[in-house]
Amino acid sequence: MNKSLIELKNVTMKFGGVTALSDVTFDVKEKEILGLIGPNGAGKTTVFNVITGVYQITSGEIIFDGKSLAGVKRYKITKRGIARTFQNIRLWGDMTALENVMTAADTHKKSGLVSGLFGFPISRREEKRDKARAQELLDFIGIGEYSDRLAKNLPYGVQRRLEIARAMGAEPKLLLLDEPAAGFNPAEKVELAATIRKIRDAGYTVLLIEHDMSLVMKVSDRVVVLDFGQKIADDSPRNVQDDKRVIEAYLGVPEDAS
Amino acid sequence: MFNLRDKGAEIWENQGRIGRIVIAVGAIAIVAALPFMGGTFLNTPVADYESVLVYPIAMFVLMAIGLNIVIGKSGLLDLGYVAFFAIGAYTMGLLGTKTDLNTWEILPIGIAMAMFSGIILGVPALKLRGDYLAIITLGFGEIVRIVALNLGALGRSEGIQGIPTPPGIFGIEYAFDSHRIYYWTLLILILLAIWMVRRLSARRAGRAWESIRQDEDAAELLGVPTFKYKVWAFVLGASVGGAAGVLYASKTLFIAPDNFTLQISILILACVVFGGMGNIWGVILGAVILGYLPDRIRFLSEARLLVFGLVLVIMMNLRPDGILPRKKREKAIVKKDAS
Ligand SMILES: Nc1ncnc2c1ncn2[C@@H]1O[C@H](COP(=O)(O)OP(=O)(O)OP(=O)(O)O)[C@@H](O)[C@H]1O
Ligand SMILES: [Mg+2]
Repeated sequence: MNKSLIELKNVTMKFGGVTALSDVTFDVKEKEILGLIGPNGAGKTTVFNVITGVYQITSGEIIFDGKSLAGVKRYKITKRGIARTFQNIRLWGDMTALENVMTAADTHKKSGLVSGLFGFPISRREEKRDKARAQELLDFIGIGEYSDRLAKNLPYGVQRRLEIARAMGAEPKLLLLDEPAAGFNPAEKVELAATIRKIRDAGYTVLLIEHDMSLVMKVSDRVVVLDFGQKIADDSPRNVQDDKRVIEAYLGVPEDAS
Repeated sequence: MFNLRDKGAEIWENQGRIGRIVIAVGAIAIVAALPFMGGTFLNTPVADYESVLVYPIAMFVLMAIGLNIVIGKSGLLDLGYVAFFAIGAYTMGLLGTKTDLNTWEILPIGIAMAMFSGIILGVPALKLRGDYLAIITLGFGEIVRIVALNLGALGRSEGIQGIPTPPGIFGIEYAFDSHRIYYWTLLILILLAIWMVRRLSARRAGRAWESIRQDEDAAELLGVPTFKYKVWAFVLGASVGGAAGVLYASKTLFIAPDNFTLQISILILACVVFGGMGNIWGVILGAVILGYLPDRIRFLSEARLLVFGLVLVIMMNLRPDGILPRKKREKAIVKKDAS
């Protein structure tokens, strides 16, 4: 078994009186696709928010790549190797698809404002390299032809995919996907499943939130189930589907998960 | 609707290197020749046309380009931009009268002072957002003016008098009334500022600002050091304001707190919004029109402010994004969505 890339240890997140996460412990292994499922309001997006530093956890610990993420600034967490997509698409609409990816890719640039202003060779070199890489990523995700279009003018499905490409632009080790298939038709979902596997095969580790059971079960190596902020299962897709507590939490949803 | 900005960008992009040089040189030549067009319909009836070109027009253009980095590019509402103009001007006033330094030596010092105050203001203020930032900057603009009003060394309400004109360079003399020399000097500063903004916009800094303007949290979460780039925007905007201030003081030879009121901040903001936030050519056009119009219609005497306000209201209704809005054209038209 691979070693863990990220570990959540007894993580609790309270918002005033609401406990969004309660003593949650799980890890994601390197090169793994871990499905994170649970009914609405279970705390899935909150997991992403505490990992990426949007919220400081009430108690517990998050270890990424051997080091704690406590108190690390949000953009530095990204720089360390975690990037995410958003459940509600949050692209930069007035930028082109390519620029969206390049902006995330700037995370790892050595050249900054001053070398850009004076056109130092390092700035030109990095600019050229990142532009090519951003285009490659768009091609990889299958939306290469849209690179010069403004994000806001792209069709919905392309925007969802661009969210993934943008996150990959930041060269993360761990990719967090928050319901990337929301609003997709069955054919698009099949396509996306293939893409997610392709992403893993390219060396990324994926933590995937998804409501569509058949999709999660098909792509995940392992599945963690949350319900009311608590982890109620952590097992292979096969076993999770047969788990009594999971079936109860979902009340009938597993039927179409065959 | 017909989009002049996109049309212009298209013409520019379709040119080769030679074509672009021809267009740029031609445009600069026409703009540089403006002082000689005073006999034409451009003439301002009452005010001296050439001095109007220097102040407010060229000065407004320069400041609007600077403020546009802050407001238009990065989406940070700064209502105290006049502070940097004042700091540049008072640096010139103080050092020009108390030391042997001349305008060209003071210019970088004035810019540095403005940038430094940009950091002093920016570091605490830029942790705040939206309305709070606007209020803090508004306060800063007023504080600078009130300090000048109360500090003996800055001449209180009397201000500073007898500020020296720039010494001649390359055989060009800066006489007090040789407006066109000042105009050309400002033009060079404007061209430098345009170069700076265009250069930065196309690279990492421009993308960082753009992402901050559109969704700051998403930017931070995708690795953009948002705070650092916001401070940079502030500091670069301040540098342009400071440069304008130094030149202003060295041209009017007399400065007082009354020259640096909130009204200037608001006017420059109006230039940016009226012209087209985020688009440098729009902002320049806005500053030219708002600088020029009040003097051009001076014959209307009291009614001119009414007309001026009316023009603003009508324009903002017709074109809420400004005369030349930012709207980016999409270069390649690609295949329609396959799904
Ligand atoms: N900033 C916040 N302030 C207060 N409560 C919050 C906040 N963020 C999340 N919550 C609460 O935490 C709980 C979990 O929310 P979360 O968004 O993580 O659910 P989710 O599993 O992603 O649900 P969905 O499937 O609908 O996206 C909900 O009860 C929600 O109201
Ligand atoms: Mg969610």
